[in-house]
Amino acid sequence: MAGPSHLSRRTALRLGGLALPALALPGALTACGTATGSQGRVLRVAQTADPKTLDPQRQGDLFSMNVLINLFDTLTTRDPDNRLAPGLALSWSAPDPLTWRFRLRPGVCFHNGEPCDAHAVAFSLNRLLDPATKSPIVELRYVRRAVAVDALTVDLQCSQPDPIIPAKVSLFGGVAVPPGYLKQVGSAGFAKHPVGTGPFTFEQFQRDHQLRMRANPRYWGGRPDYDELVFLPMPEPSSALASLQSDEVDIVAGLTPDAALQIQGYRGVEIRHYPGIRTSYLSLDTTQGPLRDVRVRQALNHAVDVPLLIKAVLDGKAREVPTMFPRESFGFDPSVAPYTRDLGLAKKLLADAGFPDGFDTTLTAQTTDANVAEAISGLLARAGVRARVELVDTGTYSSRLTSSNRGALGPIYLAASTGWTLDAESLVQSNVRHDRRQSRWHNAEADRLVDAEEQSLDPADRQRAFSGLQRLLKQEAPFVFLYQIDNIYAVDTKPRWQPGVVGVLAMAGARVSA
Amino acid sequence: MSAPAVPATRPPAASTGILRAVATKVVTAIVVLFFVATAAFFLVRLSGDPVKLILPPDATAGQEATLRASLGLDRPLLTQYLDFLGGLPRLQLGTSLVYDQPVAEVLFSRVPATLELAGAALVIAVLLAIPAGTFAAVRRGRAGDSGVMTGVLIGQSTPAFWVGILLILLFAVQWQVLPASGYGGLDHLVLPAVTLAVYSVAVIARLLRSSLIDVLGSDFIRTARAKGLGTGGIVLAHGMRNAALPVITVVGLEVGSLLGGAILTEQVFSWPGLGRLTVEAIQNRDFPLVQAAVLFFAATFVVVNLLVDLSYTLLDPRVRVTS
Repeated sequence: MAGPSHLSRRTALRLGGLALPALALPGALTACGTATGSQGRVLRVAQTADPKTLDPQRQGDLFSMNVLINLFDTLTTRDPDNRLAPGLALSWSAPDPLTWRFRLRPGVCFHNGEPCDAHAVAFSLNRLLDPATKSPIVELRYVRRAVAVDALTVDLQCSQPDPIIPAKVSLFGGVAVPPGYLKQVGSAGFAKHPVGTGPFTFEQFQRDHQLRMRANPRYWGGRPDYDELVFLPMPEPSSALASLQSDEVDIVAGLTPDAALQIQGYRGVEIRHYPGIRTSYLSLDTTQGPLRDVRVRQALNHAVDVPLLIKAVLDGKAREVPTMFPRESFGFDPSVAPYTRDLGLAKKLLADAGFPDGFDTTLTAQTTDANVAEAISGLLARAGVRARVELVDTGTYSSRLTSSNRGALGPIYLAASTGWTLDAESLVQSNVRHDRRQSRWHNAEADRLVDAEEQSLDPADRQRAFSGLQRLLKQEAPFVFLYQIDNIYAVDTKPRWQPGVVGVLAMAGARVSA
Repeated sequence: MSAPAVPATRPPAASTGILRAVATKVVTAIVVLFFVATAAFFLVRLSGDPVKLILPPDATAGQEATLRASLGLDRPLLTQYLDFLGGLPRLQLGTSLVYDQPVAEVLFSRVPATLELAGAALVIAVLLAIPAGTFAAVRRGRAGDSGVMTGVLIGQSTPAFWVGILLILLFAVQWQVLPASGYGGLDHLVLPAVTLAVYSVAVIARLLRSSLIDVLGSDFIRTARAKGLGTGGIVLAHGMRNAALPVITVVGLEVGSLLGGAILTEQVFSWPGLGRLTVEAIQNRDFPLVQAAVLFFAATFVVVNLLVDLSYTLLDPRVRVTS
């Protein structure tokens, strides 16, 4: 759609702008505008916000990870089929229940030439664990310290058994940072100009404007297919999509289904969606009110017609889940089927529990999930459960979610988890065992199964525990199980790229046509 | 009675009068800023806990406590408040909780972009509003007047957000002559500046029109007409000078509303300015950054008001006498 005449008009205008630097006004940002510095093939990716910091151990939000995964490597990684694969570590094993041993890839160097050996990796993990780092990465909670055994072997010593450490170090818990460079420039200097081992080297960051990186020719995984990778923060989906249509961006990431609908039918631009793992559910307060009765909880599961919800509100871009485990997670048991959607049965169960006329309740959700919450409220109303929707902003939601009052978000709230470890443990670690922060359910059998999957190192034992847990979750229904939503992107004709199910924007494998 | 359009000779006491007025204004400004700082400090702390937003929901209570302590948020509120106040005179505004950089550094890196946007919008607004308002005043009650005023009313009642999206669709997507968003050359500035200017054009043009109509009906203009001056000469030489006072006031106030309006416009056009920074800081509960941003906006308002007041005293001798 961007014909040559259009481009030349634009180029002419831009050159006009450059010819009048006096009019473009001063300011640190202007000196390096978008019109300068580009060389070779460029891939431009828009996401909603910028990384919070470029120190990979001081962030834990999606926008930061999307950028930093291109500059840094982690001990393990995920292959295209989402299986755990070697990263900076070639192999790993557990010599005893409290130790995980990683054998490192030889010959890897940081962008400044520093070797990425056992010393560097142990330094990295210990820096993460040091409270002075103020790291928001909490996955390694059972790791006490990392020790370099020899030049290419690192041990993680744990305070209690943790079977999914290898999966956890595929995230930024397992990131490698350069000790020599950090000593030289300090943490603040490192965050200004990060140095990693990853497929791209850092070039320039102008906050809220652009972040540029160049292909690393010496990358151990092979040089990327193009020369420059640029991240652009665009908070407004409609203007991001307009930028895509006017060829200022190649990929718009992180779209919601309704934003994606805006762009349908434009030539040269398409919407792609891929399976994702962000899994949504309703948390029910089983400790008080009508929700104490298992029949009421089952009734809600029969009443919320998830396939209809996906079709009507999410434009089909989600998959129903039987319980709260995404299909791609270790522990998912395909033999557990989702609830049947049956209004008659829902009403009968409510009547049996003593609520023939239903009851009034509140459904709390974040403002960003308003559409889904309203739709669920409508579906519940058909069974007689009148749920008033209460919307709160993200900050309030997080505060109430993690407050010591487990009823702070009301009897029913809409929640979602992204189990980045691709292990079912992540989905239930804080909300199922009765003593966990967000748990509102007391069930001795569930506690036993959680202990079994959390403390056993044998995958077969863990799978058995997870299967039992899924059957129990379905039967006792302490949640209303919903869906796992797709990752949605709008792209132009240039990039060929498929994201992993985790949905992070690792762009090293992308192919770019000129 | 209206003053004659002859430069008044400055009375000898005027300069000390101005100095005293300025001193009073500066002291008032400092008091205002103190109250703004206090309100910002306590309001932003009522809004929620940044630690809950920085850490994932599955963090343990112990991990939260560690982070809270290392950010200094576990200290008594009064200690934090006194620290904050103590740092203000030296412009030590603390460290951003989220970006881990000195707040002043983060804030001032964004000031140029916002000033560039608001400045361009102000220039556009004034350049469009003066001819429009003058034209409407001169053609008062005729077709030209109602045409201009209708256009101005539409401009004033259309949300900037919508104007922005419309401009993007036309100029970036449809005709592809200007970029849809981003920051860089002059071409990036056009659409956001026009979007931001629309409302101000309307405000300034309407005020100029009514002010000019007032002035043009007054005695000294009739005298000028009687002397045989042409309409153009009267409007330019006498009308404008006397109509300028309220217009300058409103242009000054528009600086404030342009800075405020920049929040939405920066969001729509992905413009890396203060407005967007502030919105993000509020969402992240980044206390030090929110406080500093609020103070910055307040200080700008105060300074602009001061300049407006001063321009009054310089332009209109009557104001000087009464103050």
